[in-house]
Amino acid sequence: MTNTPALALTGLSKSFGRPAVDGLDLTVARGEFYALLGPNGAGKTTTLRMVAGLLAPDAGRIEVLGIDLAIDPAAAKRRIAYLPDDPMLYGKLKPTEYLEFVAGLWGIDAKAAEPRARELLAWLDLEQHAHELTEGFSRGMKQKLALAGALIHEPELLILDEPLTGLDAGAARQVKDLLLSHVAKGGTVILTTHILEVAERLAQRIGIIQHGRLIAQGTLDELRVATPGATLEDTFLRLTGTV
Amino acid sequence: MNLRPGSAAWLLRHEVRMFWYTGFAATKEGVRRGANWRVVGGALAAWLALHGGVFALLRAGGAVSGLAREQFVIVVTAALLATFLFMLSSALKASVETLFDRGDMDLLLSSPLPSSSIFTVKLAGMAFGVAALYLFFLAPFAHVGLFLGQFRWLAIYPVLFAMAVLAVSLAMLLTLAMVRVLGARRTRVVAQIVGALAGALLFLLSQAGNLMSRDDGPGASAMAQVMQAAQSLDTTSALLLPARATLGDAQAVAIVAALGMLAAVLTIRATHGFFVRGLQQASGSVRARTSTAPVRYRFDRGLAALVIVKEWRLVRRDPHLISQVLLQLLYLLPLCFIVFREDAVQLWAVAGGLTMLCGSLSASLSWIILLAEDAPDLLRTAPASAATVTRAKLAAAVIPVFGVVALPLLWLTLRAPLAGALTSATVVGAVLGAALINVWTGRPAKRGEFKNRGQRPMGLVLLELSNLLAWTALASLLPYALEDGPVGILVAGGLGAAAAISLGTVSLAWLLRHRVR
Repeated sequence: MTNTPALALTGLSKSFGRPAVDGLDLTVARGEFYALLGPNGAGKTTTLRMVAGLLAPDAGRIEVLGIDLAIDPAAAKRRIAYLPDDPMLYGKLKPTEYLEFVAGLWGIDAKAAEPRARELLAWLDLEQHAHELTEGFSRGMKQKLALAGALIHEPELLILDEPLTGLDAGAARQVKDLLLSHVAKGGTVILTTHILEVAERLAQRIGIIQHGRLIAQGTLDELRVATPGATLEDTFLRLTGTV
Repeated sequence: MNLRPGSAAWLLRHEVRMFWYTGFAATKEGVRRGANWRVVGGALAAWLALHGGVFALLRAGGAVSGLAREQFVIVVTAALLATFLFMLSSALKASVETLFDRGDMDLLLSSPLPSSSIFTVKLAGMAFGVAALYLFFLAPFAHVGLFLGQFRWLAIYPVLFAMAVLAVSLAMLLTLAMVRVLGARRTRVVAQIVGALAGALLFLLSQAGNLMSRDDGPGASAMAQVMQAAQSLDTTSALLLPARATLGDAQAVAIVAALGMLAAVLTIRATHGFFVRGLQQASGSVRARTSTAPVRYRFDRGLAALVIVKEWRLVRRDPHLISQVLLQLLYLLPLCFIVFREDAVQLWAVAGGLTMLCGSLSASLSWIILLAEDAPDLLRTAPASAATVTRAKLAAAVIPVFGVVALPLLWLTLRAPLAGALTSATVVGAVLGAALINVWTGRPAKRGEFKNRGQRPMGLVLLELSNLLAWTALASLLPYALEDGPVGILVAGGLGAAAAISLGTVSLAWLLRHRVR
């Protein structure tokens, strides 16, 4: 079972009048840090929302850690976490109450949940804000709290949609460190980002998606093979034909 | 028309344009496509129909034809007082929205426009918004009056505008004063509640007449004293000035208009600086102080308990939402007037009133808790059973309603056990019926849309309303039938129809459960 990929998408399609994801095949290994890049409207978010169980695919198959999402969604969801670009928070709850609720949704044992919650709030510098309602939080604090919620059940696969948007340098560094630490412990991270430097520095493999299809995939060096010495930005723009 | 960019008139044109876009412009896929003719046409048709109704009323002589002019002036004064209370309520809400919801305030304040211009235009926009609703209903009197030769009734326009300006100035002064005294955070809560109560006060005053209409008792003598005092007022009294202005007294119109203008000018001159400071305070109002108190967790709750606690916390921490929901409880007070008016308890009124109140409260709470979920994607990505979450939310919605009604039901059961038992059953039916209709046919929404939840598809609104009215009818008819022994065919038919509708609407909602979403 350990050889089963963290995520395997086969012929995945979704259309909203026009195809958003069009027969996508994608495999991400366990313990991998994978960045999914693409221009606006390429189908990145739709893909992630299907993996998280928020959208039903029109066709194709999604396997999360060897579990077919269509057959046993609850088992798959227990092992993944999804963090959208707009954090899923309750403005009228305090961070502690939010983490209690999320831990309850994932059925985490109280003995395991409390130290984990304390550790996450401390790591993300949110402890001193534990008694505030989240509606007063800055964008970065909200994003960090949502990340704490996503990590409280120690997911094997962490899926993040634009997790660094709007974060200041300090908060971005904290989030990046947390993600790298997650991978170092054997977890898998899949993220989308428009900040190519983040993908360049963090990801072990990068996939580029356009018009709902994977048009290139590999390590940074593999992607740059056609134009040695080029930056990821140059490569991305060349592959997507943006310039 | 070329207006100088940055001038108050230019800014006012922008406000009017935004008012039009928000209320009447049609959009398709985010692109504006001229006027929304369905809305404009519907409003115009309703307005024309209102003119017809006013014409018929005035041609028939109206209900006031037998009144002497002095009495008529007092009636108009009472109506204007009520209108002003409503205006003040709307103006308080508008000033809170301007200060706290901000909209384009950040853009305007960061521009080089003088703060007095911004404040003037915002006040004018609020006054226009407040006056518009009342003009919609009262302007037909001016127009029909003109047609019938009563050109003086055109004074309704300046009087209503002056009243709106006065209400808006007063509301803004009150709100800014509260910001200064209570701080921005508390002001938002207090102003919202005061605004809601000011609107409800009118309803309660109107119902007070029921209590006071008896020939004896303290209410009657108080009412008589008020009427006597009103009638003894000199017709030139300043208290009657707005009424005389409304009826076309040119001098009174000029004074009322001047008072409105003076209030606006003084408000703008005296407080535009504080308005800006109030806005600055309001922008940071939500942020609480950091605390070093120890962090405590409660991870030992089960899923259902967690969901219930979370829902109650969200509602409890939203005073504006609570004020909107609890406003419905105020409607219980007139019911008390009816119940205690006679020596014998009016069982039909108690049973029907309690059932209607609980059904209505349940409809509101279940909409908030079941449909206005802040983080629906979080629940959908979680492995937790959706059925368990829904059942817990249902419990979170109905338990407070049963808590509210428990004591009145106990009182009723002690006085009349059978009626108490039957009313308990109809209350449970109405509460669960309203909640289940929301579970099965409701559409996800945002909490801020609570006030406009009536804008759901008409079929669903009718379904919920029919269910509520049917349970109310059932509750009222059952004790009536019990009191009068063998029931007549009308009562029996009414009971049968109410039972069929109450069960039928819930069944229909269940059948529609997959179609609606």
